[in-house]
Amino acid sequence: MEKIGIEQISLAFGFIILMLGLWGILSRKNIIKIVLSFTLFDTGLNIIIVAIGYLKNKTAPILDSAELQTDTASKIVDPLPQALVLTSIVIGLGVTSLLLVYALKLYKEKKSLFINDYKDLKW
Amino acid sequence: MVNPIYIVAVLLGVAFTSGFFSKKGKNIAGYLSMLALGFVSFVSLQWLHGFLSEQQAAAQIFTTAFKPPFSINLLMGKEEAVFTSLINIMGLIGGLYLFRKLKETGSNAFIALLLLIMGLNVIVMTRDLFNLFVFMEISSIAIAGLIILSQNVKSISSGFKYMLAGGLISGMLLLGTVFLYYFTGTLNIDGMLQQNLNLVKGSSVAVFLVITAIVLELKPFPANGWGVDVYEGADAGISALISSAYATASVYVFMKLIPVASEQFQFLIAAIGIITFVASNLMGLRQSNPNRLLGYSSISQIGLLMAIIGLSSVIGESTNFIVISILVSHYFAKAGLFWISGIIKTNSIRDWSVLRHSKILLVSFGIFIFALVGLPPFPSFFGKWELIMNLSGSHNFIWVTAILVGSFLEAAYMFRWLGYAIKLELPSEIKPVIKLNKIIPVILFAASVITAGYFTGMNHEYGKLINYIPLAFALAFVLIEFLPVFIKNTLAIAGLALYFYLNYQSYTDISRIFAAIFLLGGILTLLAGYAYKGKRLGFFPFALMMFAGLIGLIEAKSTLEFFYAWELMTIGSYFLIIRGKKSITHALSYMLFSIGGAYLIMAGLGIASIGKADLTLSILHQVTEYAPLVFILLAVGFMTKTASIGLHIWLPGAHAEAEADVSPMVSAILLKAGVFGLLILLMAMGEQFIGKVSIPYLLSWVGALTALMGNMMAAFQEDAKKLLAYSSIGALGYAVFGLSLMSHLGWLTAISFSITHFMLKALLFLAIGGVVWRLKTKDMYKMGGLIKRMPFSFFSVLIGIIVLAGVPPLTGFSGKWLFYQAVMEKQWFLQGAVLFFSGIIAFLYCFRLIHAIFLGQLKDEHRNVKEAPFWILVPQYILLAVLLGFSFLPGSMLKPIGNMLLPFLPDGAIHWNGQLATTVYGYWNGKTVMIIIVGIFSVVFGWLWFMNRKARKIKQFNIVYAAERPFRPETTHFAYNFFAPYKKAIGFLVAPGITNFWNRIDEGAHAVSDKFTKLYNGNGQTYLIHIVAFIVVIYLISFGGF
Amino acid sequence: MLKNSLILILILGFAAIMLSLFLSYTPSEDLKGVSKHYAEYGKEEVGAANLVSAVVVTYRGFDTLGEVTILFLTASVIGFFLKVNHSKDDENTAVKKYSEILGTSAKILIPLMVLLGVYVFINGHLTPGGGFQGGAIIASAFVLMFIALPQRKISHKVLSAVESFSGLSYVLIGVLGIILAAGFLDNQILSLGTFGSVLSAGAIPLIYILIGLKVGTELTGIISNLKELQNEQ
Repeated sequence: MEKIGIEQISLAFGFIILMLGLWGILSRKNIIKIVLSFTLFDTGLNIIIVAIGYLKNKTAPILDSAELQTDTASKIVDPLPQALVLTSIVIGLGVTSLLLVYALKLYKEKKSLFINDYKDLKW
Repeated sequence: MVNPIYIVAVLLGVAFTSGFFSKKGKNIAGYLSMLALGFVSFVSLQWLHGFLSEQQAAAQIFTTAFKPPFSINLLMGKEEAVFTSLINIMGLIGGLYLFRKLKETGSNAFIALLLLIMGLNVIVMTRDLFNLFVFMEISSIAIAGLIILSQNVKSISSGFKYMLAGGLISGMLLLGTVFLYYFTGTLNIDGMLQQNLNLVKGSSVAVFLVITAIVLELKPFPANGWGVDVYEGADAGISALISSAYATASVYVFMKLIPVASEQFQFLIAAIGIITFVASNLMGLRQSNPNRLLGYSSISQIGLLMAIIGLSSVIGESTNFIVISILVSHYFAKAGLFWISGIIKTNSIRDWSVLRHSKILLVSFGIFIFALVGLPPFPSFFGKWELIMNLSGSHNFIWVTAILVGSFLEAAYMFRWLGYAIKLELPSEIKPVIKLNKIIPVILFAASVITAGYFTGMNHEYGKLINYIPLAFALAFVLIEFLPVFIKNTLAIAGLALYFYLNYQSYTDISRIFAAIFLLGGILTLLAGYAYKGKRLGFFPFALMMFAGLIGLIEAKSTLEFFYAWELMTIGSYFLIIRGKKSITHALSYMLFSIGGAYLIMAGLGIASIGKADLTLSILHQVTEYAPLVFILLAVGFMTKTASIGLHIWLPGAHAEAEADVSPMVSAILLKAGVFGLLILLMAMGEQFIGKVSIPYLLSWVGALTALMGNMMAAFQEDAKKLLAYSSIGALGYAVFGLSLMSHLGWLTAISFSITHFMLKALLFLAIGGVVWRLKTKDMYKMGGLIKRMPFSFFSVLIGIIVLAGVPPLTGFSGKWLFYQAVMEKQWFLQGAVLFFSGIIAFLYCFRLIHAIFLGQLKDEHRNVKEAPFWILVPQYILLAVLLGFSFLPGSMLKPIGNMLLPFLPDGAIHWNGQLATTVYGYWNGKTVMIIIVGIFSVVFGWLWFMNRKARKIKQFNIVYAAERPFRPETTHFAYNFFAPYKKAIGFLVAPGITNFWNRIDEGAHAVSDKFTKLYNGNGQTYLIHIVAFIVVIYLISFGGF
Repeated sequence: MLKNSLILILILGFAAIMLSLFLSYTPSEDLKGVSKHYAEYGKEEVGAANLVSAVVVTYRGFDTLGEVTILFLTASVIGFFLKVNHSKDDENTAVKKYSEILGTSAKILIPLMVLLGVYVFINGHLTPGGGFQGGAIIASAFVLMFIALPQRKISHKVLSAVESFSGLSYVLIGVLGIILAAGFLDNQILSLGTFGSVLSAGAIPLIYILIGLKVGTELTGIISNLKELQNEQ
């Protein structure tokens, strides 16, 4: 059997964290905990993105030494997922902050963070 | 052409600039934002114009110096131009609508609006998957921001649910995107389309995640509770933006990405779409909050689009036409409806009668509802038609059925709502405040959807053949509504007369008869309209629309023209019927039966078009596949208009509640449209069989039973107009029976009977209408003794019922005579017996009209009643003259009709010798019979008069008042429950079984609706569970396991 | 209970989908597709030593513009959502006592943190880092200030002016790309310079400075809004 590399381990961790986040999202009743579970979910996703761009025994895509500047393609890991993950993190930040502000406002309305208390619209 | 990248640059630039303006500068921020939205609308419209007129080629817009797939590129093609135009215009007009609200909140609110529109533009144009994700996030955060423009617990909690769902969905999208990149090495959508992504499990799972995420954005049932809540919780202006701009963009994203999926998966999504369509409309049935109802309707429309796009491999190249035409209708209508809802601000659709404070809003409301339901002349009419033609033309009957069921449900709650607005009492406490910036968008969109309909028609192969002149004539009356009745009525009559004069020669034989019934009949009934004073708002446009539809039926060459005319007639007559006093439920059931029938006709025409290159009406002559099915669908469709048994429950109320001159229009004229339809159907398709059973044979039973039921019901009515209405049902049963005979004599009977029925029913309805006009009541037991006060009306009714009852010497008898000849020839004696029996019952109720209304004692309160208005009597006497003429010279009517029928059914024709008709069973001479009968009558009458000249008169109520005070005074009237003994004996036959049947269907639908909506318990977390469950279940279905 | 087991089943089902994705992953040996192009030609085409920055600012610059927009949008939405009344900034807010140690160390740390942030975004095209990272560091300096020195105020007018200025300039640079160079957001409106020096990679450093300023001010704005809301309560 092939040796399990760092990329598989981190990918697996990514998925596990993502699933943990999902579990929290679906089962926690406290709104803040749900929002936190969302950040967990996002983190898992981000780890997955980075893990996918990893290549065995390659280095970071920063060409700060002359050696890296020739035949670059065979020496570095994929720069694109790293760019994507940056975007993903920033979006996650925006969404999380807005979610938290929403939670704050909900709390102001009913003095409760119990998600089952907010069923004003239904059917 | 302005580079579309400036759409992004300008919107972003202005949004960033708004940060410079603090509190005091928010006006400037507002005006700048509107300018920017105006500019981007201009840019996208300029491109659209280029594509439509100059054959402009699609343009790629690159960012940075590099070509895709290395950098992100945008595409501006024809579709992109359409969608960005829609989005930008919505941004501009929706921004105008929200202007005050946004200004209150400050420049940050304008930023959210600008960035929403910017994001939507990019997600339409971008060809890069990750870029799509980024800008979808921008749009959904902007929406989440706009939802809380008005902050209350509803908007905040709905926004929170929206963000939770959005977070989960965008997570799926991102995960799928990243794995697609892993498998393909590119993020460019075109690059992905070039690879087959469904070979490897991994990449097909990635495709699954991406597509499912996009589908979830479109709010599929049942993972859409969050969507419905947002529509209800947000400000109506924001819901309009979501429904019209956001959903529009999402649909395009779906269109763009769906080719990545395997064909099988596309079908699965189409199935989800159609389930969403039907289920959401079902749930719409039980909604009373206008915004929530509109939310369900929005979701259903998007579901329909999802289904259409998923089926694009079946539908073929007309997919885009269908999608855009349905989407455009939805876009204008839903925005307009949400806006109106935002203006009148009520929590119940029952309060929408406040719309009557503003005529223009009420008219717009009607336009939007019709556009949404897909009636002509709106874009969705053509879209739905094309869709049904394509699907049924390719044997996809299940899809057709589901689409029609869903559309029907939507029509049900939409027209119920329209009925509330038009008819329910005005709630006194609510009076909407109408601001200019809110009403202008509504009017603009109402006008646009009509224009869009015209353009859609012009872009449709058969749509451009439609003759819009009659409709334009009808609509022109909207512009002269301020004129008095007298002028408008004269113009309308002149219009009908001129049209008939110019065109009657171009109609073929049988068509000419019906054209005469429709147009000359129209003129006659319009004459009675001179009796009305004032302006009679809303009457003429719709009356003329009905006549436009009727004449369109006759002129139709293609199936689309025919269907268009059929629907036009329905719209016009619906508004005529709803004018009546207590007509709210009757008008609704009329509309529902008509729409149901129309859908059957549409499906029938679609199936008939299988394998046909052109869609002229002549395809009915060459139906090769499913001919019996086509026949039944069309026949049942037409019979909703002839009100045959089972489909009749709309008629009595609708006709009885209508105004004096509307009753004859809808009863004497409109019903003949169904007869005309059946006639051309039988002429084209002949006798069809289900197995070994002949369909016309079944039809003959339908006709016979309709006649029996109609006449029996008529006999038990207390309401004079209802009596006539039921009598119409019965009479149409005769006509259907005559047609079903499929013989020369049978058809001759049916056609001549239609003409006779037209005249006598117009006569009777006008006469009774005149009586009701004066007495203000329709109950016969409140009348009596009117012979002295209204002698002219009495004479009309007398002649009318003699014809109706079919006793000699008048033309009714010659009809009956022919009828029994035809029955004997065909040897359908059982049905013949049923008809004979119903003929006797006809006699019973005819008698009541004379007896209860005109004979007996005059009521105290009617001592000073005047004769019916002159103008209501005029058409009656014209009709009387014609009726008597035909009775005297039956040959002059029957002979030409017989000649017209010869090419179709040459056998068994009547031989004419002057006015002497001979068949194998006997002979008939109208003139001789007339002279003999009149002779006998004069003798007997003279003798009676002589004997009774010393008769003593007694008071009417002298026995009853001697003993006790009656609990219900009407029970003491001699005419009340006149046929009680018969009712006891055979009344069970007319127990309202059929009405109960339809009621039960209605209740059942509401109960299911109730069950479904319970899914949406309002808990944001439950909605998330729905979403995850949706993903897992769809995965299981599409992969058949994990 | 029933609901919990239902959730468990769903989670397991979802996990199975994730597992099938996981199992389809095989570690790749070489770059393929577009990233191969970035590795081979990035140096000549963009001139940034940090290839991630080359992708972020140039190749996928349009995404980054969107990213900046998201932060800006979130800050705006939170601004009107919280409806903080900035006019009362200077009065009414009770100043809480802070620990002496925290206050003193904050006074030393804050300038250093800002300096680090500036360094990170100016060198974004050469070393790990960039506008977002630098901006976040600057914002965290302000967070420290809010906690340790609550009596210090930040003018929201200045914040939003800087924010708007940098955003608008970013868009203008993008438009200049159409006018002066090959397309929207093209970095070659300035010369690529010497590979590896601070003034290289065309407009990337400029864009990163703007992003850094923008992100820094936006995050600071969000946190300051939240803080003021807390003070009001």
